[in-house]
Amino acid sequence: MKKLVKFPLILLGIAAGFFVVTFTIYIFNLDMKATSLLAPFLEKWYDKLERKNYI
Amino acid sequence: MKTVEKIINPVKRAGEQSPGKIYDEKLKVRARREWRGLKDTLYDYTRWLYLMSVLGRFIIVPRNVKGFFRYRWMMSYLFVPHGMDKFTIGLRDEALRIAHTSFNFVIADVTQAIANCFRGDRRVGNDKAYSDKCVITDENSMVTFMMGFDKEKVHTILREVPTMFASNIFHQFNVMHYLDVAQQYGIPGDVCPMPEAEAGISIDDDFCVLGCCAVQNNTTCDGSLMGNGIIAKRLEREYGIPTFQLATPLRHKEPDVLDYAAREIRKAIAFVEEHTGEKWDWDKYFAAARRVNDATRCRIAQLEINSTPYPQFFGAAFSLYNDTNYMGNSGRDPQFVEIDHKLLALAEQGYRAKRMYAKEYRHRAIVWGVQPQYIIDQLYWLLQCWGVMPLADMLSIINTDMIAEEDTPENREQAYRDMAMLNMEMIMRNHTHGGYKVLLDDLWELCEKMNADIVMMWEHMSCKALTGMHGMFEEQARERGIHLMWVSHDLCDPRVFTRQAIRDQVNNYMRTVMREEPLDPSLENIPDSEAY
Repeated sequence: MKKLVKFPLILLGIAAGFFVVTFTIYIFNLDMKATSLLAPFLEKWYDKLERKNYI
Repeated sequence: MKTVEKIINPVKRAGEQSPGKIYDEKLKVRARREWRGLKDTLYDYTRWLYLMSVLGRFIIVPRNVKGFFRYRWMMSYLFVPHGMDKFTIGLRDEALRIAHTSFNFVIADVTQAIANCFRGDRRVGNDKAYSDKCVITDENSMVTFMMGFDKEKVHTILREVPTMFASNIFHQFNVMHYLDVAQQYGIPGDVCPMPEAEAGISIDDDFCVLGCCAVQNNTTCDGSLMGNGIIAKRLEREYGIPTFQLATPLRHKEPDVLDYAAREIRKAIAFVEEHTGEKWDWDKYFAAARRVNDATRCRIAQLEINSTPYPQFFGAAFSLYNDTNYMGNSGRDPQFVEIDHKLLALAEQGYRAKRMYAKEYRHRAIVWGVQPQYIIDQLYWLLQCWGVMPLADMLSIINTDMIAEEDTPENREQAYRDMAMLNMEMIMRNHTHGGYKVLLDDLWELCEKMNADIVMMWEHMSCKALTGMHGMFEEQARERGIHLMWVSHDLCDPRVFTRQAIRDQVNNYMRTVMREEPLDPSLENIPDSEAY
């Protein structure tokens, strides 16, 4: 019986935790801020790639 | 001069009143997301989660990871949520839902297009059996000649859409590298940067290589014709992909060109049959034709709603959906039908509730000319900052005629003409080519029908198609008492006109000619010119 009560509470806790974390990321635009930090490194990566460039 | 009745919104907008505060010049993205009140913020949050799930499902496939690190343009797709935020500035209620419903679907469609490209790409997925059933088409091209092929057996790959067009929506600087490459190669810098960037991608060896054949279209300008030559050369001579040139008449309002255009469509279909080994299916064609007509009816209804004092369809997100549906889909995918009706239902609901999306509607505008509004958030900004409601834009004013949809021997002949008509009247070509009637007369008719007092006239610095008519626009607007607001830009090259330089032209016009103050001063100067 205890387990039956516990299970929905655990689910609720996980859902609440998921909401708090993802909503914080969403509202403070943390996803895009983190991505914008990655961009300069990616540009360097693409610059280094070998290509059959016509120039 | 013509005036329209000013309408004041009796309802205070939920959440924050000045979205200009969310920009920060030190950042390349917004400082935070807009607070839209509890209900709409939670809705926007769930759509953000959905977008994350679309991107997550894409990147867990190993070949997509490989493709991500091979192609420079893929970097733009890291900024999909940033692009979505650009198209929802200040929006609430039905308009927010219309923007998300339409643009989220476009994003899912483009994501699938990238996955398809990588699957067949010789460098990434190298699925030869799949690639052998792929037909590459131009970005700025109708796919009516594919309407009668089973989409499960023959795959239409609009290779330039994810590579250039869509990627530029999410990251305004991403095509600058390709423009530099094209100009280093020797292409002049005064052609449209869109086809020039596509040519640059080909020169830089940054297109996916797949397909059993390709169909190119003489789209709308010197730039696209030049770019097609460069791209076709690499496709045919280096990769051995035969390329068909679908030569479409530009004077599409002349009835005597239709037979020729229909013959070209027949040839394109025969070319696809020859190279894919699949046969044209009239059942498939007429099913697609019924969906094309359904989309046309929805579009007419949308325009009707926008001609009332309470327009519901506006902004780049919705017009991008229209582009995707009209040109990239052309009735082939039944999923669009459901979205069309969902959008219309939302708009009808908003109209019945007399929903307004700014504090005041001071002016009603038609947006004309070659537009960069996918790269900046100009239309939403225009409404929120100055209370100018953009009612319709040139690229969304497309065919309103019904095509034959019953399978009869006569209609099979008519079908080639219908496909040719749609192809000739594709987005851009239908107004930038075809003469005086489609560029000028259509505009004034539209101003009348939609009760517009302003035309925001995009002046694309590198587009020669409209430049010659500058004086006629001015003369005729003056005769009709319509305010003509010229706004210069250079499409996807932000080095020529930054976002703020584009907005400043409107600011100056509204202050000096109209003698007005902004509705929301926080939006007059936005430090986002360096933002992605």
